[in-house]
Amino acid sequence: MKKLSKKTLNKSFLSWFYGNLTCFSQEHMQTFGYLCSMLPVVEELYDTQDEKKDAIQTYTAFFNTEPQIGTIVVGMTAGLEEAKANGEPIDGETINGIRAGLMGPLAGIGDSLIVGTLIPILLGIGLGLSGNGSPLGAIFYIIVWNALMFFGMKFAYFKGYEMGGKAVEMLVGEQAQALRDSIIMIGTMVIGAVAASWISVTTAFNIPGVIDLQSTFDSVYPKLLSAGTVIFCWWLMTKRKISPTMVMLILVVIAFAGVLLGFFDPGLSY
Amino acid sequence: MQINIIQAVLLGLCACLSSMPGLGGTTFGNYTLGRPLVAGLVVGLILGDMKTGIIVGAAIQVIYIALVTPGGTVSADVRAISYIGIPLAICAIKGMGLDPASDAARDMAAALGAAVGTLGTVLFYGTATVNLVWQHMGWKAVEKGDFRKLYLVDMGLPWISHLLCSFIPTVIITMAGSSMVDLMKTYLPMDGIAMKTLFTVGSLLPAVGVAILLKQVVNKAADFLTFFFGFTLAACMGVNLIGAAVIGGFFAVINYKIQMLKVRPALAGTAAYDDDEEDI
Repeated sequence: MKKLSKKTLNKSFLSWFYGNLTCFSQEHMQTFGYLCSMLPVVEELYDTQDEKKDAIQTYTAFFNTEPQIGTIVVGMTAGLEEAKANGEPIDGETINGIRAGLMGPLAGIGDSLIVGTLIPILLGIGLGLSGNGSPLGAIFYIIVWNALMFFGMKFAYFKGYEMGGKAVEMLVGEQAQALRDSIIMIGTMVIGAVAASWISVTTAFNIPGVIDLQSTFDSVYPKLLSAGTVIFCWWLMTKRKISPTMVMLILVVIAFAGVLLGFFDPGLSY
Repeated sequence: MQINIIQAVLLGLCACLSSMPGLGGTTFGNYTLGRPLVAGLVVGLILGDMKTGIIVGAAIQVIYIALVTPGGTVSADVRAISYIGIPLAICAIKGMGLDPASDAARDMAAALGAAVGTLGTVLFYGTATVNLVWQHMGWKAVEKGDFRKLYLVDMGLPWISHLLCSFIPTVIITMAGSSMVDLMKTYLPMDGIAMKTLFTVGSLLPAVGVAILLKQVVNKAADFLTFFFGFTLAACMGVNLIGAAVIGGFFAVINYKIQMLKVRPALAGTAAYDDDEEDI
């Protein structure tokens, strides 16, 4: 009965933690990171060079997911490889089927939960702490983010190794879905506060004695123009399917026209 | 303000570590050193003005608060934003004599950061393309059974890609760019249309970052209410970002409990609290 040592599993985890995207190409995104993290596992489980070659061949297949949440898959395959080396009815194809099946769903969860929610919440708090030029916010983000990810990914790796497929249910089950929705809710609210604190679109349009547009807006809803700009950009991207880069160019045109018409005026001089 | 060769080299090194397929790793490279807020601190320390660095970094951070790269398609490059855009913005702000804490300085930083970030995508595709060479060597090593070489391919050789596509461009552009500010001051007066447009664009750009994020979470008009709840807290009630996160957390707990009632109504009343192991 072969059993992977703790040392080997740690080595495999650290390889993935550091190297999952270091040799990125459009053709084989995380494949080489995956190969490196499976190498210690394969070398410990198999004795002859031919067996090793055979086993490593499995992991030459394309792999790409959200690398942080995807750690769970790496842990799972370490467990599967161990079972395979012990003669259980698992072959390379089964392992690759599982890998390929999990890539997409986990990328979706990871992109929306980690990159689209956790990072913005942490950065939002960081922005709040650093707004006046204090290093506190940046330091807060560095410590909290790295601690969460290192221990979270380590946890995911070993859960994947021990529990196999059951570990994934923890991420996609109904309870996990409810938890995810709730965390996204915090993210959306924090982003609202970020928008109100950091976007400052104002108009200079002013006919003395007749109308001062900015103060009219302010009396309706503070930061009305900022909120309007956000909704406009969202509308362009979602309903008109325009790319962020194009939206930025459209804003350049709007800014130029606005300046010509006297709607915008930063009012600066050297 | 000038950037000397030692400072430029340090910026170049950070660029190697922080880009999307970066050598600091995904978590510490891309998602820590590559975030403009963190880069603001790092660049500020390198250039000897931490406060301006952080203000500039924070202003650019809002635009890229949710930089998701699904399937490796990028609309902006973090190494360019953070280690070319931020240094240039600091030089521009100082060269023009703007107060770093003013809205104008933030608008300037946002406009410059976004322009550099968008142009910088060429660096991303460049690095990924050069990496193909190392991967080709990797496949040969796998065929021969020379497994040790995989570490070199994954973690060693990409340094060459970064020397070409991160280090050299960063060093050259930051050193040359710092003297561009005087030219700008001569040819582009602050009350001219070009500069007015630049600052106005800077004030509009953070809305793009927020909208990118909303695109993911807002599917119907009602979802906007959550966003505007947070917006109103800050805009009308003066709640700061930490306060907003706490209030958001409170509503998230309520939402979680309601959702769980739907999932398993029978259990929720009696045993809703016994599964803490997932509440990490």
